[in-house]
Parts: sequence; C-alpha cells; structure tokens
Amino acid sequence: MAFIEIRNLFKRYKKVTAVNRIQLEVKEGELLTLLGPSGCGKTTTLRCVAGLERPEEGDIIIDGKPMISEGFVQPSKRGIGMMFQNYAVWPHMKVYSNIVYGLKLQKISRQGIREKAKEVLELVGLQGLEDRYPGQLSGGQQQRVALARALIRNPKVLLLDEPLSNLDAKLREKMRFEIKSLVKRMGITSVYVTHDQAEAMVISDRIVVMEKGNIVQIGSPHEIYEKPANRFVADFIGAMNFIPGEVAQVLPGADEVYVRTEFGERLLCRSIGPDAMTPGQKVYASVRPEDVEVFPEAPQTGENIFKGTIVHKAYLGNFLFLFVSINGAMIRVQAPYQLPQEEGQELYLSLHPQKCMVLPE
Amino acid sequence: MSRGNNFLASLLWLVIAFLVIYPLSILITESFKVSGMDGSGVHNYLEFFRDIYYLKTFWNTILLSTAVLLVTTLFGIPLAYILARYRQRGKTIFTALILLPIVLPAYAGVFAFVIFFGKFGTMNLLLMDAGLIAKPINFIFGFHGLVFIEALHMLPFIVLSLSAGLTSIDPSFEEAAEVEGASGFRRFITVTLPLCTPSYLAGAVMVFLWPFTDWLTPLILGQVDFLPSVAYINIAYHFTDVHRKYMGIVAVVVSSIVCITLFLFARWWVEKRKYTGLSKGTTAEGRVIEPSSLIKTGSYLYMFFIAALVLLIPVVLGLAAFSRRWVFEPFPTYWTLDNFRVILLETPGLIKNSFVFSVIALILGVVFGLPAAYLIVRTRVWGKDALDFIITLMLAFPGIAIGVSYLLAFWQGIPLATHWIIMPLALFSRRLPYFLRIAHASYLQLDISLEEASEVSGVGKLRTFINISLPLLIKGVLVGVVMFFIMAFQEISTAIFLYRGGWETLPIGIYLNWHRGMEFGISAAMAFLMIVITFILLLIIARIGGGILKAAWGPGEGR
Repeated sequence: MAFIEIRNLFKRYKKVTAVNRIQLEVKEGELLTLLGPSGCGKTTTLRCVAGLERPEEGDIIIDGKPMISEGFVQPSKRGIGMMFQNYAVWPHMKVYSNIVYGLKLQKISRQGIREKAKEVLELVGLQGLEDRYPGQLSGGQQQRVALARALIRNPKVLLLDEPLSNLDAKLREKMRFEIKSLVKRMGITSVYVTHDQAEAMVISDRIVVMEKGNIVQIGSPHEIYEKPANRFVADFIGAMNFIPGEVAQVLPGADEVYVRTEFGERLLCRSIGPDAMTPGQKVYASVRPEDVEVFPEAPQTGENIFKGTIVHKAYLGNFLFLFVSINGAMIRVQAPYQLPQEEGQELYLSLHPQKCMVLPE
Repeated sequence: MSRGNNFLASLLWLVIAFLVIYPLSILITESFKVSGMDGSGVHNYLEFFRDIYYLKTFWNTILLSTAVLLVTTLFGIPLAYILARYRQRGKTIFTALILLPIVLPAYAGVFAFVIFFGKFGTMNLLLMDAGLIAKPINFIFGFHGLVFIEALHMLPFIVLSLSAGLTSIDPSFEEAAEVEGASGFRRFITVTLPLCTPSYLAGAVMVFLWPFTDWLTPLILGQVDFLPSVAYINIAYHFTDVHRKYMGIVAVVVSSIVCITLFLFARWWVEKRKYTGLSKGTTAEGRVIEPSSLIKTGSYLYMFFIAALVLLIPVVLGLAAFSRRWVFEPFPTYWTLDNFRVILLETPGLIKNSFVFSVIALILGVVFGLPAAYLIVRTRVWGKDALDFIITLMLAFPGIAIGVSYLLAFWQGIPLATHWIIMPLALFSRRLPYFLRIAHASYLQLDISLEEASEVSGVGKLRTFINISLPLLIKGVLVGVVMFFIMAFQEISTAIFLYRGGWETLPIGIYLNWHRGMEFGISAAMAFLMIVITFILLLIIARIGGGILKAAWGPGEGR
C-alpha cells in the first residue's frame, strides 16, 4: 500500500509547465529521491506534497487521506516534517526553541517536551548546544538543528529539499549516511530532492529521474545506472561516452546489435529494448569510461578491439582519466593509474559488448 | 597612491572640523556659561532639571515621541503588511500616496489641518451646517492633534522600514513555521515580526527623534511646552534675556544628547542581532499572498482612508492658495491668483533665495559627498570609519541644534553669520548625510573589479573615477542630488536661526507670514508652490530609479 500517492499532478507558473501530470507512489518506510537538473520539477513536486504550492490539477494522498481533492489541507495540518536547503533555522530563537517550536503546539507537558528535546538532541548529536543561537553554529550544526526540529514530532512523512547542498563535500558525505540511518531507524517515509546523482545513488531506495516536468525513469540505483531508459538518464547518472552511429545489423534474439560508428569497424552492443532496433536507425552506442579496458598491446580475443592514440592523460590519484582518439573520434576512458603509455602514444581499447548500450537518439 | 587618499581625507576632515565639530563644541561650551557670572559651571543644567517648567517640557517631549511612535506603528503594521504581502491592483498608486508625507514640507500638514479641522474649519462647519453637532469639536488643538499630525507625517518611515523588512525575510523561515504547524497569526507574531525588528528600528528611531526637532508644529497649535519650541522661543525671541538664551541652549543640548543616545543605541542593537541567513534564491517580492475578498475590501478601505488624509494636505493648501478671505466658510468663496502674484512679483526674493541657497548647498554636497563616499568605500585611509560615523551621527542631531550652534559659533570670532553664505553652508551641513548615504549605497553596488580593470589598463585613479565610476554611479548620484535638493529646499529648523533681512527662504516666508497674522492665502500659496516643485523633482527621481532609495534607506534616515 503506497504511503504517499501523487496523482496526475499538474503545476504551471504563468506560461511554464513545471510539473506535467506525473503519477508516483512512495512505499511506506521507503526513501525515495527525486533527481534531475534545475528546472525539472522535482522541488515543485516536493512542495506540492508539503502543501506549500497549490497545483492546478491533481491530488496528493498521504496515508490514505487526500490533501487536495476533498478540500485543500494546509501544510500546518499535514503532519509532515521538512528540511530546507538553507536550513530555515530561525535566527532569533535559541536551538532549543527552534527544535520544540512545533511540538509546543501539541498538548504535551513542559516536562514531556524537555524529555523529547533531549532525546532528539542526542539523536542528531547536538547535546549541550541547546542554549546557543543559530548564528553561533556551523552550517552542519544548523542543518542538524533543522533535522532535529523535523524529527521531534515523529512525522509520518519527511520531506527534504536539497538539505546538504550548502555544506562542504566531506560534511555532505557524512551527513548523507546519518540522515539515511536515522530515517530508516525511525521508519519514516521520506522524499528527498537533489540534483547530485552521487548523493541520490548513496541514499535512495528508489530514484525518480525527472526532466522538464516529466518522470523519465523510476528504479533502484542499480537499475538506473545499469539500464538507463534513454540518453538523458544515461548522461545524467555517472559519466558516459556517446558514440554516434547507425544500426548495422540486429542479431537473432534481438539482444545484441551491430552498430556502425566512426571508429571504423562495427561495434557489438547490447540492446536495451525494442526502441533501437531498425537497421539504418540513428543511435548512440553508449559506454561508461570505467567499462573500457585498456591494453598496451592488441589482446588476442574479444570483441570491439580498437587501436587509439592518447590525446590527453589526467592523473586523478587512484586512477587515470584518458582522452583517446580512435580514427579521429574521441572516447573517455578510466584507466588504472600504473599505465606506462604517455600522451601521443598508442594503446588498445576493448569495449565489452555487454557494457555497450544502444540508446535511441 | 595612498598619499593622495590621505590628502583627500585630511581635506574632508578639515571641512568637517570647521563645519560640524567646531560649531557643536561652541554650542556645548556656551551651555555652560552662566548669566551674571564670569566663567562657567553646570548651573544651567542643574536649573534645567530642577525647574518644574523645563522638566515638564522634557517629559512632554518624551511622551509625545512615545505616543507618535506607538500610533505610527499601530497604523503602520497593517499598511506595511498590505503593501509587502498582498497582490492588489492599484498598489503602486496607494503606495505613492501613503509615502507622500516624506516629501511634503513638515509644516504643510499642520497648516492644512488647521484649516480643515480647526474650530471653524471645514469639518466643523460642515458638521454644524448638517446639524450633527451644536458646538465645534476640538479636533486638533491639543496633544491629540499634535500626535495625529506628527504621526501622519512620520507614517511613511515606519511603513517603508517595516515593508522592507517584510519583503526581505527569507520565505523559508515562514514556510518552516507553517510546516511545523503554526497558523497564520501565530507565525506572524513568533517568526515574521521578530525578524523585521532590525528594519523596523531604523524607521522607529527617526520617528522617535522627530518631536525633538519639530519646533513649529506645537507652536502653530498653541502648545509650546515642548523642548524644541521652548528652545526656539528662548533663543530667537528673548535674545536680550541672556539667561533665557542660555536655558534655551541647554534645552537644545539636552535634546541632542537624547537623540544621539537613542540613535547609537538602536544602531548598536541592530548590529548585535544581525539576522542573516542563506537563501535559495527567492523572488524579489518575498511571499505574496492573494487575500480573500473580505480582506481585500478591508485593505482597500484602509489604504483609501490613509491616502485621503494625506491628500487633504495638498488639496486644502491648494484651495487656500487660490483664494482669499477663506474664513468661517467650509470652502473658499473668493477665488483669486492674487496670492501667487504677491509671491512671484512683489516678493520674488523668497523663491530666489530658496533656489540659490539650495543649489549652492547642493554643489557643496556633491563636491564633498562623492569623495567622501569614495574614501569610505574604496580606501583604507586612517580615520575613514570615524568620518563615516560622524557624518551619519549628524542625522541624529535635531535641526535646531545645528542652527543654534552655527548662530553661536559664527557670530563673533569667525563672523561668517554676517554673510549670506552661512545659509547654504548650514543647509549643506544639515543635509549632507542624506547625499552621503545614497552615494555610499551606489558605490557599494559598483563592483570594484570594474575600476581595477581600468587601472590595470594603465589609467590613473582620477581618470578611472571620471570615465568608469562616475558614469556607473550617475543614476544613484542623480537620485541623491534631487533628494538633497528637496530636503535643502524645505529646510526650516536650521535656517530660522540664521536668517537676516533679505535672506529669507520660502519656508521662512511661510512661517513669518503666518506669524504676522497676514493673509493666510499667501502662506498657503507658498506652501503649495513648494509642494508642486517637490513633486516635479520627485517625478524626475522616479524616472531615474527609486531602487537606489531602497538601498540607501538603511539605519538612520529622516529629517
């Protein structure tokens, strides 16, 4: 049973369609991420769930109760917790007051409130700081205050609007895990919005990739990465080489396809579905840089062996990033850091057919 | 080239020392002189705080300031909220009308309302003619009237500061409160209003300080027991009674101390509670709400009511300006252009003086203000922060303090006051901070890398200023220039102490005319003329860009 249901959601700002009639279900206890570039509609969708935006059409159903179709339910009455990108921690109140602000509106005794506050302060690691003002805290600490404030009321749903994008990289990584483990421990259904695909991969049970107001693909991080639905998703998640070409031959079984490209010989690729199947059809052979194998000399066996020249070699510490030219066409390759070849020298590349996806244009 | 900067700084300091520090120190030393005794002492101050009468004036003024602040805040909060948050048609017109009092001369209001709400003014006569009342109601001749008139005059300051505060609050602060379960009113009280405090204080200080310098309004209403009025009467009238003169000076000094203390306190408090936060990139409007039709109607009515009160001023003055012998009638019966004929043909000196003095003051203001802004924003010259501080502090001084200090300082010793040049000098001193604020704000908006690119290309500092900085600053500078001119043009509190025969400006003419009990239409015509001129200048500013005004309206603005 879906805990949050988004039905036919349509939101427009003047002439621009922000959310274009999407349907989505969030399972109870799941952490679902809305992922996409700026302007794709992910934040608008989240804010519609919160009640901070009113869609033109559609409904939001939380725990079986419709939030729009039977009278618009105000955000204050939806029983949700929310974290904002800029923390929204009130600067004129101490940490303690910030955290218990919403709790004070429920009928709990002063003592009860104090106990809950103590509990949640320990949960997020802010014990001892309750008498400080937000201005005296670091960014990471302020974000924890926001988290504590959201969690203290035991909300049914937690909405997170790019909460980590204002933190530095190391802190961001740490906070990702903390948020995920806290939320999982408490069993709160969560919807997370981000444009950082690495973050989405780490934190999510399922990812919803959005583009220009539409849902492009829904799946687990593994599915999204290994089996992108189209070029947009493939490009957005991780790095990807797109080699333009034409379908040369479809092998029986419709599982593998030969693609003619600028590399010269035909490329044997894996098809991802019936969309890219007609001979002559313009497609992209897509392979990730880390899936290209590098050999100093021509390997004896294997498909898709090409000889190329290193145009640029970048040292990244734990691996190398190479720009290799094959017959004038460029391909990016991730290679082990011990590669002896230098710029201008030749080497052999092998693209494993199973790692080469054919994507329609 | 910091040698050049140092030289510039020294020049500016010299000017400040001569035109500000020297007169003010004379003011203070004079206050310690005791009549009938050689040497000085604190006798005057002791007497001031022991004398029942002077104590009464002191507390009256404090009471008046508090009352005016309360009234403006109460009436201002709904206005600011409507202007900042509601999406309503005609908002711009109403905004302009409600903000009009800032640029009307302060005395325009009291004259207009005396005509309209006086014992035998329009309102009372209409009510009596309609048989609704038998005897005239005392609408304004009392403390209540004083509060009303001064509150209406200062209302725009509160509305401007509050609405600036409301629009600049990051919406996510309120959204977070909403998500946490707080209803509209609770949100407003616990989150929105507290976050507006710094902005509010900026306007509140100016409102509170105003009764300490408004000597004219109480006088016209026959209520003289207020510090500035007492000071004026003692100094300007009873100049043969040396003792009274000294007491008047003490009154001025006491007013100044109160004003400066409050001003500094507010600044300190605002600095202490800096409410900054990150922003995701909100709209410039802040949160805009579509109100229900009941609230919409209510807000229109409210804005209409305030705007009507404000519009009364130019309308009533206009009626009086174009008529004569308007007494005991609700509306004028004898229309004429005679008043204007008198002003323009028989006593054109008033207009001439006003323009000449204001223009000279303006030139001085620009010549001083631009380099000062440059120094404060772009250099690290020793003493620049002190310079900024002193000039800003000048805003807190009651106008009468500057007038009286000039009178004392430039009479003997350096007899500047015997030459008409003292008038523009005084105007310049009083209004300089306004121009500096605007120049300062404009400079801040000018990215330093634009100037650096010019210098790297081989162009010296002065050329860079002329070719790069000035053209980019020109918008803000022009707005500052016009504002300065308007304020110098309307100035009376300082000029009233320094004028001599032949040096009267329009505002002084208005006062003298009223004081001598002559045909009131002439005063009204002069005031009306001033309003028209101000209005034209404002249209010019509006064209150039009011955005600079918003930027400059930080802590410390006012008359």
